Formats: sequence, structure tokens, C-alpha cells
Amino acid sequence: MAMLNEYSGRNLPDYEFEAVKKVHFSPYADNGGSVIALAGDDFCIIAGDTRLSSGFSIYTREQQKLFPLSNTTVLGCSGCWCDTLTLTRILSARMQMYKHEHHKEMSTPAAAQMLSTMLYYKRFFPYYVSNMLAGLDENGKGCVYSYDPIGHCERSNYRAGGSAGALLQPLLDNQVGYKNQEGVDPTPLSQERALSIIKDVFISAAERDIYTGDGISIKIITKDGVKNESFSLRKD
Amino acid sequence: MFLTRSEYDRGVNTFSPEGRLFQVEYAIEAIKLGSTAIGIATSEGVILAVEKRITSPLMEPTTVEKIVEVDKHIGCAVSGLMADSRTMIDRARVECQNHWFIYNEKMTVESAAQAVSNLAIQFGDSDDDGSAMSRPFGVAILFAGIDEKGPQLFHMDPSGTFVQFDAKAIGSGSEGAQQSLQEVYHKSMTLKEATTSALTILKQVMEEKLNETNIEVMTMTPGAFFHMFSKAELQKIVENLPNAREEAPKPRSDSGATPSIKPAAISSG
Amino acid sequence: MAFMTKGDWYNSQAFWQNGPAPGAIYNFPGNTAQSESNGFQRSQAPITTGTSVLGLHYKDGVVIAADVLGSYGSLAKYRNCERLMKVNDNIILGAGGDFADFQYIKNIIEQKILEEECLDDGFSLKPKSLHCWLTRVMYNRRSKFDPFWNNFIIAGMDDDKPFMGTVDKLGTAYADPVITTGYGAYMATPLLRKAYEDNKEMTKEEALQHIHKSMQVLFYRDARSFPKYHVGIINKDGIEIKGPLTLESNWEVANM
Repeated sequence: MAMLNEYSGRNLPDYEFEAVKKVHFSPYADNGGSVIALAGDDFCIIAGDTRLSSGFSIYTREQQKLFPLSNTTVLGCSGCWCDTLTLTRILSARMQMYKHEHHKEMSTPAAAQMLSTMLYYKRFFPYYVSNMLAGLDENGKGCVYSYDPIGHCERSNYRAGGSAGALLQPLLDNQVGYKNQEGVDPTPLSQERALSIIKDVFISAAERDIYTGDGISIKIITKDGVKNESFSLRKD
Repeated sequence: MFLTRSEYDRGVNTFSPEGRLFQVEYAIEAIKLGSTAIGIATSEGVILAVEKRITSPLMEPTTVEKIVEVDKHIGCAVSGLMADSRTMIDRARVECQNHWFIYNEKMTVESAAQAVSNLAIQFGDSDDDGSAMSRPFGVAILFAGIDEKGPQLFHMDPSGTFVQFDAKAIGSGSEGAQQSLQEVYHKSMTLKEATTSALTILKQVMEEKLNETNIEVMTMTPGAFFHMFSKAELQKIVENLPNAREEAPKPRSDSGATPSIKPAAISSG
Repeated sequence: MAFMTKGDWYNSQAFWQNGPAPGAIYNFPGNTAQSESNGFQRSQAPITTGTSVLGLHYKDGVVIAADVLGSYGSLAKYRNCERLMKVNDNIILGAGGDFADFQYIKNIIEQKILEEECLDDGFSLKPKSLHCWLTRVMYNRRSKFDPFWNNFIIAGMDDDKPFMGTVDKLGTAYADPVITTGYGAYMATPLLRKAYEDNKEMTKEEALQHIHKSMQVLFYRDARSFPKYHVGIINKDGIEIKGPLTLESNWEVANM
């Protein structure tokens, strides 16, 4: 009894050793990954690396990060993988529901707006995902929509996002946007050039960014549908 | 052989032995007391024309609104219980804005009709999840709009059923007007022809003499979208209407159930 | 909008109410709204824990292994905790992390399988389906800041092809021929990945050998591991959970 009193309000002697530590819980993880999309006059190309990682661990080397939403729309995601999985599932459910409700396929601009509202709807517990929507607009022209995690949406012709986004965007500005050059005459982007830029740019990203590597998968969107390609990157 | 109709016409959720929902059928009858509205879809656009019943010279005619704008690209003409129609139009407007908000595109005319239809069939028994309406809406609606499929006209009745039409008349004069529409309508009609035809037919089926204050006309065209005719515009058209033979107002098509009730006596118009 | 509940029939949706919240289009255990009244304490940390789970594809199946220790902090408290679970005739579930959370989920899965068997329709849950379902369960709980503190590996045969997938406490899910959790991620992954890259068509015996070797390496270096483990083998002929197997070890170097 005396012993119990002595220990009252404290841990019982049995449990006095380095026991359970209180661990902080974060609902988010950074699983890396980079996505690039380029739009041409009658096509759009989107590419994403296939490495899924966390810190210094590579979870898998073969993870698709591109999600076809319709025949003319592909979404590329990087960031928190559990949010990506959830967001893309809800998105494809919404695409299907739209088809049933309105008897037509959702257009890329419509999907772009819907994604924006879906992200903003979770403004105070966001999907920690960097999204990139590639497709063809109502005139058949290539379009790229990029987002921040809470739904800011911008249409552009080329964009890099994800862990190597900041590394790659200036490269695209220079090579695709012909920015910061003197005396260049901008030629419209051809499919072949877009493809080779994407490969070059990802090789560079894999050199500098540990969260990007292993391989890339590429989707080329034209009015005839989506064509798949893949390409290997360094695996270290 | 079966029980009389009156034993099955009380609840909106009871089928008669022949498989009919009398309350819904009565609701459809109710719109035959309403004012006539005519819609014609042409390749150039859609035109809606309605009569306004001015039951007293002391009434302010402009406050009788039977053609309304739902969105820039969708307009509606209504006939039946006006108060009910406000609720439905309100829903249509919100759904159109909601669609634009989420998808950044115009809602199709069919989808708008579908959205209103979803509201129209929420009558019947209440349950835990929410109370239902005690009766169907007593309204028929013509949706005139333009979307990616071009100019379109949809008709919806109180049962929530909606169907696309080239030309459709609703309200008290609908039977005669529909017959006339069938005679005059052809695929290559211009919007101007359609306007003249709609007003000519309206003139035939109206009880009062048609003039610029007791009608409303709206056109829905790819360029201007919703355009409501001003008094001056109406005057011009009315003056130029071909002088058709004066037809005696057709007797109201009646259901046999409520032939004696004058339309003006209830708030139908 | 199709996501309207009945109560919303009169009122059209508010602009922000767009689409389902995560978890709203499906119904999972523990998904009911809790009253947030007076100081509800969410599980902030794992208590009794299991360490690594290892899994490896072989030519016509998958092998998966986990030791039998339930640690209480640094105390090797429970020395006979089986962390592999036979789900049905073609799925094995392996769990690391909080043992209580695993037992809770195990109960739910067993109930689920029982209900499915009662249908007696000849269909049985497939590993991909269980993987997807568990992902949703884990994600829902993390979204409530009340996670199940586990790493799961789901191994099985899906249409006569070996399948192995994993889910963690956030709902991070993926499938791969080599999966390891806990300390195994650092120490066993390189060994098993190399073994798999060298021979993707290895036999069951070879696979078991690699797993055994990895468990031994983990026993030498992971202070929360134990020299007894279960191994699960799954192929088109069904599943087999063997053990506890004993790891031989040599600690002579430890003597002064």
C-alpha cells in the first residue's frame, strides 16, 4: 500500500522503462514524382516518371502516375500518393456520372473546372497533390491545365510539376516557350520535338532529383485517341 | 367492375387497378386550364409565344410573366399554376449556374429539363430523409434553348416526363394549336416564319383579341440568345399578322372532372 | 446532381457541395460520424507493435513472412504473435505496426469473409479487391486523424497471376513483386530486389531461401525482431502458412 501511494499519479514500477513513445502523426506524405505536359496545335503530350518513393526509400519503380479520364483527357499527379489514389478514383467516378447525367463525354475544359472545384472543396484539408490535366479543347487544340493543391487552375501550353517541377520549368520556358533567348524565331511545336524535349528533360531531372527516376511513361493525346510510350531513366 | 375512380384519386402514391395515377393525370388536366403557350424550333433559333390572360382592366399586364430567362441560352414558357412554376424555374436557374460553376460550360437544354424533372417527381410519401411534396406541380413547361446540338425545344408535363419537339403548344388552346402547328411546321422554316405562324395560331386559339399587351414573345438565337420582344416590336408583328378568318374560340378541352371551374377563378393563368 | 441525399431534393445543391467527400460514396467499418464531444482521444501512437513484413514473388506464387514478436516499446513482451492471416483460399494478409489495430481489422475481415461464404455463390474475395478495400479503410481513418497504425501486405493469386500489394497507415498503396515494411524496407529490400532481378522465375524453394536469409539479416540488426517467424506461401494450389520457423544465429562475436 505504501508503495502504491508512493507511486500514485506516476507510472507503476512495472512500466518504468523506455516504453511507448508518443509519435507525431501527419496525414500527409511526400511520395515525389514529376509530371510534364506539352500542348501542340492538334495534340497534347503528358509524361510522368514511374518512381514512387518516400524519403530515401523507393517503394516501387513501376508506378503509373498518369490517369486517363476520357478519350481526350489525361490527368498526371504527383505528391501525396494516398491523396492521389483517392482523388483520381473520385474523379473517374464523377466522369462516369457526368456521362450518365448529360449523355456525353466530359470535355477537357469541363474536367479542368471540375477538378478545380473539387480541390477547392477540400480547401481546409487539401489533397496534397500537384495536378496536371492534359487534353484537347473543344476546338481540338492541345491544352494543359496545372493546379496548386487547393484548386488554383491555369491553362498553359507547357508545364512541369511535381518534385522536379522547379528544375524543369525554366528549361521548358527556354526550349518550348523560346524565353530568354535573342533572335529566335518561334516555330510551332511538333510532336517529334515535344517527345524529344520530354525525354531530354526527364533525363536531366533524374540526374538532380532523387525523387524522379526509374522510367517515364508518356501519353500522346490526339483526336484519334491516346497513344502510350515509355522510356527508361537511371534507377539510383 | 373495379372500384370507382374516386377511390383511387386521393393519394399521389396509389395506383388504380388499371395502373393509373389519377392525381398525376389530374395535374396534367390542370394545365389545360392554363393560358396557351406555343414554341417552335427552327434551324435559326427557337421562338416562344404565350398569351397573357388580362382578367381585369385594372391589372398591370407586365407583372404577368410567362416567359422567363433561365440562363443566357435557355428560356422557358410556362402554363398552369404560376406559383408552382416559380419553384421549378428557380431550380432550373440554380442548376444552370451550378453546372457552369462546376464545369465552366453551358448546361444543355436536355440536362436542364432533366434537373427540373428530378424536382417535379418528388411528390408522394414523406420518409425519414425528407418530406415530399403533397401533390405534383400543376405546370407544363416549354424549354427553348441553344447548346452544342443547336436550337432545341423541350416540353415537360406535371409527371416530369420531358420530350423534345419541333413545335409544341401547351395550355387551354393546346389541342387546336398543336393541330395547326402540325400543318404549318416544316424543317426549313425561318425564324420569322415561325414567329408569324406561332402568333397566327395563338390568335386563333385566344379568347381575347390578340394585342401587344396580352402576349409575350421571345426568340432564342445563336447570336443574341434570349431576346424578349419589347412592346414596340410586338406591336409591329401584331400589325403585320395575316388577317386569318376569325375563328370562334375553341371550347376548352375538358376532362369531365372540372368543366365548370373557370380558369380565372383559380390562380391558374 | 446524383450525390444529393433525399433531404436535399427540395434545395438544390450549394455551390461548394460538389461531389462526395472522401468516404461518402462507400460505407466502411468505423465510418460513422463520431460525436466530437468532451475530449475524445485518438490513437496517437502504436502500443504493442510488430516489426517488418517481407514479401516476394516467385515463378508461380508469392511468399510472405513476419516474425512472431509483439514489442512493447523496447520490451520484447509477447513472443508468440502470429502476424500472418489467412483471409480465404487465395489471400494472405501480413501486418506490421500496432498489433491491436491489426486484430481489430482481422476481426472485421473475418466477419466479411464469413458473410461472403454464407452467400455460397462460388465467388470469393480477390486479393486486388481486398487491397483496394483496405486502402479505403486506411485512408478514411487517416482522414479522421485516427489512423490504424499498420503496414499491411496483401498477397494472393488474382486470375492465376501472383499479386502482392501493400497499404500503410495513410492509405498509401502500391503493388510490386518485392515489398518489405518497417526495418525490412532498409535492410531486406536490396537483398530481395537483387534476388528478384537476378531471377524473376525463381522456384518456391529459392524464394523461401531468400526470405529466410533476409529474416536472418533482420534478426541480426533489427532490435525489435525475433528468431521465430511464420512464412506464408501462396500459389494456384492454395495457401500454406508454416511456422513458427526458427532462425539460427551466431553471436560469438558478441563475446569479449
